[in-house]
Formats: sequence, structure tokens, C-alpha cells
Amino acid sequence: MDFETGDIVVGLMVAALGLLGLFLAARAWDDEMYLFGLALAGFAVLFDFGVVRRHFDRKDAALAARRAGHE
Amino acid sequence: MSEHVLPARPVVYNDAVVKKFVIACLVWAIVAFLAGVYIASELAWPQLNIAPYLNFGRLRPVHTSAAIFAFGGSALIGTSFYVVQRTCRARLWGGEALANFVFWGYQIFIVLAASSYLLGFSKSREYAEPEWHLDLLLVLVWVCYLLIYLGTLMRRAEPHIYVANWFYLGFIITIAMLVIVNNLGIPISPYSAKSYSWFSGVQDAMVQWWYGHNAVGFFLTVPFLGMMYYFIPKAANRPIYSYRLSIVHFWALIFIYIWAGPHHLLWTALPDWTQTLGMAFSIMLWMPSWGGMINGLMTLSGAWDKLRTDPGLRFSVTAVGFYGMSTFEGPAMSIRSVNALVHYSDWVIGHVHSGTLGWVAFITFGALYYLVPNLWGRKGLYSVRLAAWHYWIGTLGIVFYIASMWVAGLMEGLMWRAYDRFGFLKYSFVQVVVAEHPFMVLRMIGGVLFTIGAILMIYNLWMTVRSPATEAPRAELLPAGLPAGAVVAGE
Amino acid sequence: MRLSHAFIERNAIVLLVLALLTVAIGGIVEIVPLFTIETTVEHVNGVRPYSPLELRGRDIYIREGCYLCHSQMIRTLRDDVARYGHYSLAAESMYDHPFQWGSKRIGPDLARVGGKYSDAWMYAHLEHPRRLVPESLMPDFAFLAHTPLETRDLLARMRTNIEVGVPYTKADLAQAAADLRAQDDPSADHSGLEKRYHGAHVVPGNGHPTELDALVAYLQVLGTMVDFKDVTPAQERQ
Repeated sequence: MDFETGDIVVGLMVAALGLLGLFLAARAWDDEMYLFGLALAGFAVLFDFGVVRRHFDRKDAALAARRAGHE
Repeated sequence: MSEHVLPARPVVYNDAVVKKFVIACLVWAIVAFLAGVYIASELAWPQLNIAPYLNFGRLRPVHTSAAIFAFGGSALIGTSFYVVQRTCRARLWGGEALANFVFWGYQIFIVLAASSYLLGFSKSREYAEPEWHLDLLLVLVWVCYLLIYLGTLMRRAEPHIYVANWFYLGFIITIAMLVIVNNLGIPISPYSAKSYSWFSGVQDAMVQWWYGHNAVGFFLTVPFLGMMYYFIPKAANRPIYSYRLSIVHFWALIFIYIWAGPHHLLWTALPDWTQTLGMAFSIMLWMPSWGGMINGLMTLSGAWDKLRTDPGLRFSVTAVGFYGMSTFEGPAMSIRSVNALVHYSDWVIGHVHSGTLGWVAFITFGALYYLVPNLWGRKGLYSVRLAAWHYWIGTLGIVFYIASMWVAGLMEGLMWRAYDRFGFLKYSFVQVVVAEHPFMVLRMIGGVLFTIGAILMIYNLWMTVRSPATEAPRAELLPAGLPAGAVVAGE
Repeated sequence: MRLSHAFIERNAIVLLVLALLTVAIGGIVEIVPLFTIETTVEHVNGVRPYSPLELRGRDIYIREGCYLCHSQMIRTLRDDVARYGHYSLAAESMYDHPFQWGSKRIGPDLARVGGKYSDAWMYAHLEHPRRLVPESLMPDFAFLAHTPLETRDLLARMRTNIEVGVPYTKADLAQAAADLRAQDDPSADHSGLEKRYHGAHVVPGNGHPTELDALVAYLQVLGTMVDFKDVTPAQERQ
């Protein structure tokens, strides 16, 4: 399904960005790179959390719609 | 249900991401305008430079980036997503997550860029200050944006690509080219945010102003013309004046704009042939620019009365007027002898702001006054009177700004080149600085007025969304939240 | 197939490619020849890479956004030359990665500020500009005088400059730390520094440079590398 593939590809890409961020922060030479790395990691966690949440929101909505249809 | 109500329109648009960009655009407008007022005040009262983080040198890129890329960029990406879906009758390609990545990725790029300037990391390339790591993040986001835009165009249900999309597409691809070439450089380490430019001296200056002028051309002009080509016909409910003119001026504009960069480097160590080419093309640029203005203004023929009742349209049309003025002023300033007088002076700042405040911001305000009621399914604005107040306060602010900068710039240019009767320079540099003080204050007041206008708009739009008074009767709403009778421009 | 506009506006990819080609032309014509035409930058005697301390000073100049108020480009105009000195030659910024020509003179041009003022004036003025020039709009940079210069990454910075085309030699790299200290210490031996970086201006520090020391070293070399008695008319014409 279009939506699901997009979610997975984008989710993985952002996760990779987050890991890269942690790596950069760990080895940073200066404050800017340290903050950049941490921000990237934090961004990745929040963003992927949002992707997961939306996925289950959609599933719940579909389930609720099906239940409503049975009644 | 939607099937039989709307047989021709089974598409559910992704308006959630457009709403996010609209909100971001409003937030960044205030940040950009306040930063502008602050640095303008620093030039009147230098004690406001609080070292090191609020020094002019670190804060000025925050203002320019917030205005161009945060406010302007959010407006552009948001409206382009709105326009491309409606003119293609297709939902955004790539799914929700990709669109959200473009939104949040772009926002975090802006926040990190602004904080990096305050920390003292800047490539010192005007309008391209973010260091290499942020550039790479931006390129990633931008490629995703291009994919979404192109993918949506390719799955369109309309046979033709509507003219607004040519401009948006030209903007996306050209900005990609400009950003990648101009920011070529080598970091001192993969773990350091410091880099050195690939180019040096003359070549570097040429590359930077090839980029810099086209940040104006392809970020602040071409896509905002795309905005004009959708929202003015929509608000006026008229077709575009001339389809043929839009073809001619689109290709002429994007071809000629790219050449104009060297007019930032007249009388410098850049070779003469390049300077002359830049000057010649800058003057030629006047024609395709006015082609766009004529097409925008003439679209209103037969609907001029709407200006009295629709404040959003009034913003859009005034914006086109300012666009025409700035694009006449620009070629004039590119003439070598004029440039000798005005370059390095405040006239340039005034010129830029007649474009950015008068054209970019006003056409955006016009689009926002149209977009917000439509996106949130409201029957109209909370207060038309308040929007009219915004219009007049904002216009007054622009007049204060550009008039004071015009006088200050001419004065600087003339004082710098004034000789006494013995043939010596008449004024020391600091005498010119002193003479400019009143105009710095006037300019700051202009900025404050413009900001007050923007705050009125945000209150108005907020109340449009929140107030029960603007709720549309349920029957008029379609499932996708679109008001009935919404016709796609160009259909 | 005939390339009508109707065809273009029915094919997103064609539209994209044609737009990209259209916008690429101007840049290619104006930029590429600047790298191939030899007279673009006439080489002039005296122009040399920045000494380690000057290079670090330049980094600070960029960090603080000095270029936003000060140009470094004296145009070929009578009043520019009368106010600031001989107009700038292309060669004078050939090792500037990036260039610092600027776009607005909120303050005066700095292309030839080197040697124009004493060190004492430079330090005092940078720290508190309005104590010397009451009308000045310049921010105070006193904090630079209290900040020790970061030198750990000096070699990385010089090596990166080599990668982008600045001809630092092996000896320059080997002596970089010593040259940096020597230029900040009037009592040190400056023969090596002078040999590698002709005309480098020694600032009155103690061998442990602050950021302000580096910035003054940079400002004091601006526009002083070329001796205009040696320049030929052909070199000036560029």
C-alpha cells in the first residue's frame, strides 16, 4: 500500500539520520556540531514516534469503522 | 457518500501539511519581522548590540534567513502543495510521512540554521550562511520536496500542467542547482561545523552573486509569481489575462534572471566582460518582469470592484504593483553609472525591502487571507475591517521604510563622492554615519508598523479559525472540507 | 515530434529538464570562463597565503559577520580610491576562501586598513569603538580579548585550505604552531615567520594569542601584501 511503503521508507531514513546525529554528537569538535547531532537524534525520535502513532491511529479508526458497520 | 455528491472529484487532498506550513509561515513572519526591527534599531542605537549573541553581525543572517527561507519558504512550500493538488486534482505523491518529513525537516533546518548563526557559524555567503552540515540537511529535504511535487504532477488527472506549477517547478529545480553549486566547500573535519569555500576571490564572488541574485530571482520572484497565477484568478474569479503572455514571460524570465548576478559586482575586480553581460541582462530583465505584472493586473479587468470588498485581493494586487516598481528600480540600479552612486548604500536595502515587504510579503498575505478560511472550512474572514487596517498599516510601514532608505542611500552616495573646492573628499566616513541617524530611526518605525500589521493579521486568522461566527453551515461543506463550488483555476 | 508548448506542459519531466537547461546557460557562460581565462586573475608579486594567526583572525572576522558592514573591495572610482587607496586587484583576494568583498558599507571599506592605524588604536577600537569614535555604530568586541584562541584544529584548517587551492608548503604546516606563537610575541625570533609570510605583522601579545590578537593580525595585513611600485599597467587593468 502506498501509505505504508512511504511510512517505512521515510521512517527508516529519519532513523538513519538520528543515528548519524548521535555519531556526530559523540565525536563533535565544536559546540555547533554537538548540538546539531543531538538535535538530529531528538528530531528522529520524535518524528518516528509520530509515524508510528499515525499508523496505529489509522488502524484504530479502521477497526472502529468496521465495528460500527457490524452494528 | 462523496461518490455521488462529487463524481468528478474523488480525491481527498492532503491539506494537513498545508495547514502546518500556513501556521509555520505565520510564526516565522513574526520572528523575521521582530529580528528585523531589532537589527534596524541596532543601526540607530548601537548600544543594543549585546555581545556576542545579539551583535548585528550574528543577528542579521537570522533576520534574512527567517524572512526569506522561514517565512517565505514556508509560504511557498505550503501554497505549492495546496495549488499542485487542486490544479492536478491529485493527492500529494509519496504519502503522509514524506510530506511531514518535508515540513518538519524544513522547520528543524531553519531552527538549527538560526541557532548556528548566533553561535558564530556562518559561511559568510549572504543568504547562504548555513554551514555545510545544515546545507546537506537542506538538500535532503529539498530532494524530497521535488519528488513530492514531481510525483503529484505526474499522477495528475488534468491533461495540462497549470501555469502556476511551471513557476513552482522552475523554483524548486533552480534553487537546487544554485544551492548545490554555491555551497561547494570542504569541512575542516567531518566532525566540525567549519568549512572553507571551494572557490576563492573573483570566482567565489561571481558564484556567490550568481546564487545571491537568483535567491531573489528564483526564491522571491518566480514561485511568488506562481502564487499570483493561482490566487489572483481564484480571488477575482477571472481567468488569466493572457495565456500566451504567461508562456513567453515564464521562459524569458527564467532564462534572463540567471545572468543578472554580476550587477552586484560592478566596478570591482570582476572582469569587465562579465560586468557588462550582467548589466545588459539586468536591463533586459525588466521586460519579462513587467510581462508578469501586466498579466497579473489585467486578470482583474472586469473585476476591479472586488478590490473594495476583498482585502485579500487588495493585498495581492498591491503586491503586483510593488513587484512592477521593484523590477523597474532594479534594472535602473544595474546601470554602471547609477550603480557607482548607489552600490554599498542604503538604497539597495530599500530596494530589497520594496520587493520583500511590498511584493513577497503582500502577495503572501493575500494568499493567506484566501487560504485560511478555505483550509479550515470557514465561510469568510473573522473581520474584513481588521484586514483593511492591516492593509493600511502595512502599506504605511513600507512607505516609511523605502522612502527613508531611498533618501538615506542617495545621501550616502552623494556624501561619499563629494569634494571640496581643493579637490579633497568633503566628508569623513563617520560624518555620513551621523547624517543617516534620523533615517535609521524612520526605517525602524516603518518596520514596527509592518510588524503591527502582521500581528493584526495573525489575530484575525486565529479568530477566523476559532470563532463560531465564521462557521459555515454544514450543508455547504463537502467531506474533504472544501466549500461547495470551489473551482480549480484554469479548469 | 514537433515541440509545441502543449507538449511541454503535458510532460512534467520535459518541463523540468527544459527549465533546468534554460537556467543553466547563464551561469555556465558567466562562471566557467572565469576559471579558464588566465587574465581573470593577473598574478602580482607579494600576494601570499595568510599566516596561521592571520588565517585564524580571518575565521573570527567571518564568525562575527564583519563582512555585513565592511566591504573589502575598493572600486575603480575616483572617490573610492581617494578614500581608501589603490583599487583592489583580483589577485589580492585569490587566497580568500570565501571572498570578503561585502555588499554594504555601514562602516568603511577595510581592503587596505592594514597599517592605517596603530596596534594600540586597533585593540582599543575593537574593544569599545565608541570610546574612540563616539558616533560609531560598531558593536563592542571586548569579549574577543578575553577569549583564548582555539588552536587545536589549526592544522586541519590549513590542510583544508590546501585542498581548496592555497599553496601552503610542508614547512608551513610543520612550523604552523611556532609561527602562530611567534606572531603573537614581539620578543620572539621572527626570522622563520618573515621568511614564510613576508610582511606578517607581529601583534603585541604574549605568545598565547587571544581571538582579538588574531583579528588584529588579520586586519593589519589587509591590503599591505602588494607593493604598488612593482605593479605593471597590465596587471592593474584586470
